[in-house]
Amino acid sequence: MTMFESYSLDSRTLAGPLEARLAAIRQAGFGKVMLDARDVVSHPGGVAGAVAALRASGLRPAGLQTLHDFEGLSGPLHQYKVEVAKGMLQTCAQLGAPRLLVSASTLPHASTDLAQLAADLHKLAMLAVPLGLQVAYKALSWGQSVRGFLDAWDVVSDANCSNLGLGLDSFHMFANGDSLDDLIELEPERIFQVQLSDFMGELPEPTAPGQTTRSLRVFPGQGAHSEQLADLVLRLARLGYTGDYSLDVSNDDYAQLPAEHVAAQARQSAGWLNDDVLHRAAPLPHWTRIQANTR
Amino acid sequence: MTPLGTDREAVPDMPNRLGLNGIEFIEYATTRPQALGHVLETMGFKPIARHRSREVMLYRQGGMNLIVNAHSEDARVSALVDEKPVISAVAFRVKDALRAHTRCVELGAWPVPSHAQAMELHIPAIHGPGGSRIYLVDRWTEFSIYDIDFKPIPGVDQHPPALAGLDYFGLVQYVDPGRSEDWIRYYETMFDFSTVPEDERYGILPKGKVLKSPCGQFMWQLIEPDPWMESDRAPENLERIGLGTPDVGQAVALLKSRGVEFIETSSLHPEDRGALTRRELGSVSFELVHRTGG
Repeated sequence: MTMFESYSLDSRTLAGPLEARLAAIRQAGFGKVMLDARDVVSHPGGVAGAVAALRASGLRPAGLQTLHDFEGLSGPLHQYKVEVAKGMLQTCAQLGAPRLLVSASTLPHASTDLAQLAADLHKLAMLAVPLGLQVAYKALSWGQSVRGFLDAWDVVSDANCSNLGLGLDSFHMFANGDSLDDLIELEPERIFQVQLSDFMGELPEPTAPGQTTRSLRVFPGQGAHSEQLADLVLRLARLGYTGDYSLDVSNDDYAQLPAEHVAAQARQSAGWLNDDVLHRAAPLPHWTRIQANTR
Repeated sequence: MTPLGTDREAVPDMPNRLGLNGIEFIEYATTRPQALGHVLETMGFKPIARHRSREVMLYRQGGMNLIVNAHSEDARVSALVDEKPVISAVAFRVKDALRAHTRCVELGAWPVPSHAQAMELHIPAIHGPGGSRIYLVDRWTEFSIYDIDFKPIPGVDQHPPALAGLDYFGLVQYVDPGRSEDWIRYYETMFDFSTVPEDERYGILPKGKVLKSPCGQFMWQLIEPDPWMESDRAPENLERIGLGTPDVGQAVALLKSRGVEFIETSSLHPEDRGALTRRELGSVSFELVHRTGG
């Protein structure tokens, strides 16, 4: 029984050993997990242990996150970041995850030149090709120059590789004040990743990833921005986006709660998105397919 | 007279930034070098030299060099797939190997660490599809790479002529579903390959996408599984070598007389355009392709 095959939950949203988190995510009915690289490498059995835990869980990986501050650097810093990126791409391939998520640079000395940012992401996409991976690039509201999703889209379009696409993150879109009217600019098949979270109260100024925001992020449908979130996913559906939704809620309170408790909240949220917002058709019961196949 | 710099006829320029100039060699890795050698000899290749330090043999016919690598570390990849030989490397001739390698790595290629022994030639390489390697060779004009790393087998003609004018026509790469565009972008970026139009196809197996090297000397064909082949979970790989010949009929007759078997079904059989040999050792087949214009 899995109701939410096209929804994933971020591993970092839950607390506890990786096995317990994966079990809670599966138990709650999700088909996929978005893996945080820290959860993977900190497994007592190393990456191989994390891979085994993932296989045993029955969940499919939605992707690996997050490569930070990659683009716009030069000289030894660039070389250093390329090595970091290669390490993460190899982890991603070991996990059998389809893509690596990259967030826009926050470094003050990173270049703001669109051509250089695009060239760096082009290089990352090329590194990903022999490993069979995609790269999803997302804006950060506190990023150096790529703050809105259109900024990220400019970089992705300029780099122009079929395995490089856009990551959307509702938290950063709303915090940056992005206009949802601009979604029409995007090509739906180039949106590789959509991460959703809600927020209690007003969104903070997009200045820094401060601690103040950490206990106020909640699951979609459970905060003050549910209407905006519903508007976002409906616009994406109209645009032709048919990919997955990932629930990404880093919250200090959730870090102190049992994984099952938080996963149950996530399940409610996925139910709200699926049934109340998107009105997605429920899949037919399994026995109808078996009958159809034997005819 | 038109002023310089105008592009009145929109003639596309074909950049060749690495100075690519054909295929220097293709390498198989195998744990069964004798059995593979036998298959290659029926195809007209002759063993001409041995590697100085490893279990590696050089075969040749006409302008084609083919290396059989049974060195234990390299042959492991073959052991992984039920002892079937695998195409483990392709070497491109370039103008300046080191500069070409540096450029590829700057653009996002994965460099392969060299395992050259003392007094052996270091040939720079990058990772290719499915664990294969792409070598970049620039010593092909004044002397050859084989003079350094290989010892000629005494009494053997070092330049055996090609059967039926055979030469390297290209390679066929199997890719995962939906991955052709990614690989096309990769080969465009690294080697200035360009996609040939959909209606321009060679041989009798016209599926997939066909790329052309900027030197115009060889093709690179990308084939995805058909949508209904959901169970095809084979990893990406270099699947087979294409051999060009001015006369497919003559080549087929010659090869048949040497014991080579061809696929002969109602839908797939030798024609003027091409032919496909039956698989040997579970993985080794050659595609003959009619090459026009010499």
